[in-house]
Amino acid sequence: MANLAWKSFKGIPLVFTLIWIVAFSAALYLMDKSVIAFLGILSSIVLVYYTNASKTIKMVIGAVVLLLIIPLVAGENRYYMEVASQVGIYVAMALGLNIVVGFAGLLDLGYVAFFAAGAYAYAIFSTSQANEFIAGNLFPLSGEWFWPFLIVGLIVAAIFGILLGLPVLRVKGDYLAIVTLGFGEIIRIVFNNLDKPINITNGPQGITPIPSPELFGIKMGTPFYFYFIVLFVIAFIVLANIRFEHSRLGRAWIAVREDELAAQSMGISLLNTKLAAFALGASFAGVVGVIFAAKQTFIDPTSFTLMESIGILVMVILGGSGSIPGVVLGAAFVTILQVQLLKEFSNFLHGLQNAGIISLPNQLDPSKFQRLIFGIMLILVALYRPNGLIPAKRKKNDLDAIKNSEFGKEKLGILGRLSQLTSGKQS
Amino acid sequence: MINILPQVLVDGLTLGFMYAVVALGYTMVYGILEIINFAHGDIFMVGAFIGTEVLLISDALGALEGMNPFVALFITLIIAMVLTGALGVGIERVAYRPLRGAPRLVPLISAIGVSFLLQDLVRFTEALARNEFYLNSPALFTGSIPLGSIATIPTKGLIVIVIAIVMMIALTLFVNKTKWGIAMRAVAQDQSTASLMTINVNKVIMLTFLIGSSLGGATGVLFAQNYGTIDPYIGFILGLKAFTAAVLGGIGNLRGAMIGGVLLGLLESLSGAFMGPLTNGAFGAEYKDVFAFSILILVLLFKPEGLFGEAVKEKV
Amino acid sequence: MALLEAKNLTKRFGGLVANQDVSIGIEKGSITAVIGPNGAGKTTFFNMITGFYEPDEGEILLNGKSIKKLRPDQIASRGITRTFQNIRLFKEMTALENVMVGVHSRLSAGILGILFNSKRVRQEEERTRVEAYQLMEYVGIAHIANEAAGSLPYGLQRRLEIARAMATNPQIILLDEPAAGMNPRETVEMTDFIRRLKKELDLTIILIEHDMKLVMGLSEYIHVLDYGKKIAEGTPEQIRNNPNVIEAYLGKSASDVS
Repeated sequence: MANLAWKSFKGIPLVFTLIWIVAFSAALYLMDKSVIAFLGILSSIVLVYYTNASKTIKMVIGAVVLLLIIPLVAGENRYYMEVASQVGIYVAMALGLNIVVGFAGLLDLGYVAFFAAGAYAYAIFSTSQANEFIAGNLFPLSGEWFWPFLIVGLIVAAIFGILLGLPVLRVKGDYLAIVTLGFGEIIRIVFNNLDKPINITNGPQGITPIPSPELFGIKMGTPFYFYFIVLFVIAFIVLANIRFEHSRLGRAWIAVREDELAAQSMGISLLNTKLAAFALGASFAGVVGVIFAAKQTFIDPTSFTLMESIGILVMVILGGSGSIPGVVLGAAFVTILQVQLLKEFSNFLHGLQNAGIISLPNQLDPSKFQRLIFGIMLILVALYRPNGLIPAKRKKNDLDAIKNSEFGKEKLGILGRLSQLTSGKQS
Repeated sequence: MINILPQVLVDGLTLGFMYAVVALGYTMVYGILEIINFAHGDIFMVGAFIGTEVLLISDALGALEGMNPFVALFITLIIAMVLTGALGVGIERVAYRPLRGAPRLVPLISAIGVSFLLQDLVRFTEALARNEFYLNSPALFTGSIPLGSIATIPTKGLIVIVIAIVMMIALTLFVNKTKWGIAMRAVAQDQSTASLMTINVNKVIMLTFLIGSSLGGATGVLFAQNYGTIDPYIGFILGLKAFTAAVLGGIGNLRGAMIGGVLLGLLESLSGAFMGPLTNGAFGAEYKDVFAFSILILVLLFKPEGLFGEAVKEKV
Repeated sequence: MALLEAKNLTKRFGGLVANQDVSIGIEKGSITAVIGPNGAGKTTFFNMITGFYEPDEGEILLNGKSIKKLRPDQIASRGITRTFQNIRLFKEMTALENVMVGVHSRLSAGILGILFNSKRVRQEEERTRVEAYQLMEYVGIAHIANEAAGSLPYGLQRRLEIARAMATNPQIILLDEPAAGMNPRETVEMTDFIRRLKKELDLTIILIEHDMKLVMGLSEYIHVLDYGKKIAEGTPEQIRNNPNVIEAYLGKSASDVS
């Protein structure tokens, strides 16, 4: 019965979605500190996704919420914009990893290394750090260099991806997970120790002050600006995900994921196909790394641990490996859980403690529950929802469009031999 | 430089034998289920904590007073092995068995989840009980044996090596001589045929986890004795290294895992000691993990069947 | 000159010799069967031809050029394709997409073209969809174009696998037990279909099959393997009366054959 009800579910009525958005916007506008109102607005994006309306209408509403309503009602509040841009950074990273894990089925446990590559690329050259190994006192660079460095970060990370991928991707199946994990650790250790013999990364001390982005003389150092920068990057990555998913390359990725041997006998080169996924996933992480460095103004190797890689993997798997809306939801959910819900819960318990109702040892602070929660989530998802919250679905092709296509006028491919043979017989 | 060599070799052997026993757990489970039991390193860690707690509590009760340290260690080992063995079987039952036949990534994800869960559970338990999660284990053996005039072997290191060798011999005998050991090898070779021969595959898998986990747990106790301080995160990296050892020796191959472990321990110890001096300080001991992972990657690339494994071609 | 020539192929796995000194020549446009008892090395032979195993000794020539050292995907692009004994479809993809994957190596879309959705890429995609759909029509399964491949019944999966193989635009197609698990009516349909492939599309076909009725009725030439060695070759008539073959199939199948 429940199944039937779900099948007949046509989507949330448009009116409901609109009322929801208006209500929570008003609530947040009136009550500046209401976390619930803020979460209500963020979750309205999920609502929009499930609303029963045409694609265009949904896109317009989504854009209005993201570009107008959130900045208008929450833009004043530095903290909310900070949370929103952090959510954005993880959504972007998860979408990058989705190409590697979701589409191509390569379990990469060292993904954060590419994030680090992008972040360090900008950090080293935008601060005086680069003077340590490049003569001429050319550095630091101004914040205007942030924009070209988005591309530089992309390219550096992509090159990293290819260099790592070339050996690593020859390794099969489960071993790949271990090898990427090993490589991720190697890179972190190298960054942590590359202050000698030549000081390139400044080792464990990290690099600061990394300049904020600048455009036409405007310093864009606040979360408000980063929110828009991240949104722009996400839009680009989502578009890329959508286009790749149903392209020649996307089909090859999924073919390799489903059955390597059959894929090869279809003429798909395993190494090239995997390498493309690895390099693309890496390059998106590189871009996000540049933004991260500029936003934090300080980076050191502790931001790029295995925990980060696993966290991003949890987002992808929880949301739905290979499913674009799923991954966005997974990333948003996990990030909010980490930066907001756990903190709120922790504050709540501290409140109780201060009131003398409970006593809470510092070690049990819920904000330290991260591994426990990730662990439980991974097990539960593997057991009960291996395809994630919003499972990936392949798009059905419009068969009428195929039948009416201009290309259908002649026989294509091997069937071209049909007409040749018959015309041969006729003449 | 050469005068520290014997000491470095002794340290490397101690570490290597620990890798070897933990590697056995990885290789046994992989041999039978073809999954990387990511949580195995953490079972080792739990073993270290159980052992240390047993000793700490007995110490607090005054029970260690006057007790023969060998007897104390033996009792601690048994308790740790029983509990970690049960833990391993429980993990298999809850987190792996329901996933048999699922796509290969799924059990791996579940295993990573178990690994994280164990780390935090231990941390919380210790934080609640002792208000800190770094534990110092009471040392049962403090003496050392001089090895000529060139090096000294700490007694605890020697004990680690001896117990590791005893466990390895016991396992080898079990696998080769007993009915259940032969059943295990049969299941590793061909699960469906083995089940046709009326071997209870589920029982064999449980047994594999029981033995592998209890060996891992015992190694945890030895680790705590040898290094003194433990924390909930020791299992992850050590597990990774032990897995490297298993791959190095040829995964699924017991003898290979043992040799791979010892080899890796020696290599790591040597590289840690001599990389700095050899590169004039440019790359020091901090790169020893890089060294271990590089070995893993090189082996997987050029000899994926390991040093002692047989080349297996994927079935088409 | 034969289209495909396997010369003195030997493949060993540890102590086991899976193929020993096997030489088989395939003429263009022929239907050739490779038969033999279970474990005779038939699939190993297919795996060497399609590049999944590299032979320890011997040579494989396609149009006189060696393909022995090529990877499976390179061999596929050179016009040799196959189906698998235990059907290997891309289960999560739709049937149409499975066939589209077969067109892969004849497409040119690159990363930037896909990213910017260039006109050329859009046209190429449309053309690929049409080509895949035409193939499904030809094989008679166009009605399931949008179904997930993994959810199809067995018989349709077999046909889909052949459609997918045809999409690579091969010269030679290797069918590994195409009629396995089929009932007599389906087997007859499959036989007719394979014959059509040769007649209408000028395809060269090599097949492994246990169903002797199908083999004898369909193939023009037969090679018999036993314990990794070739023990006989000839027309169905010759094979039927070859004492070596009857011995290899001893008893049970010997009566079937005669």
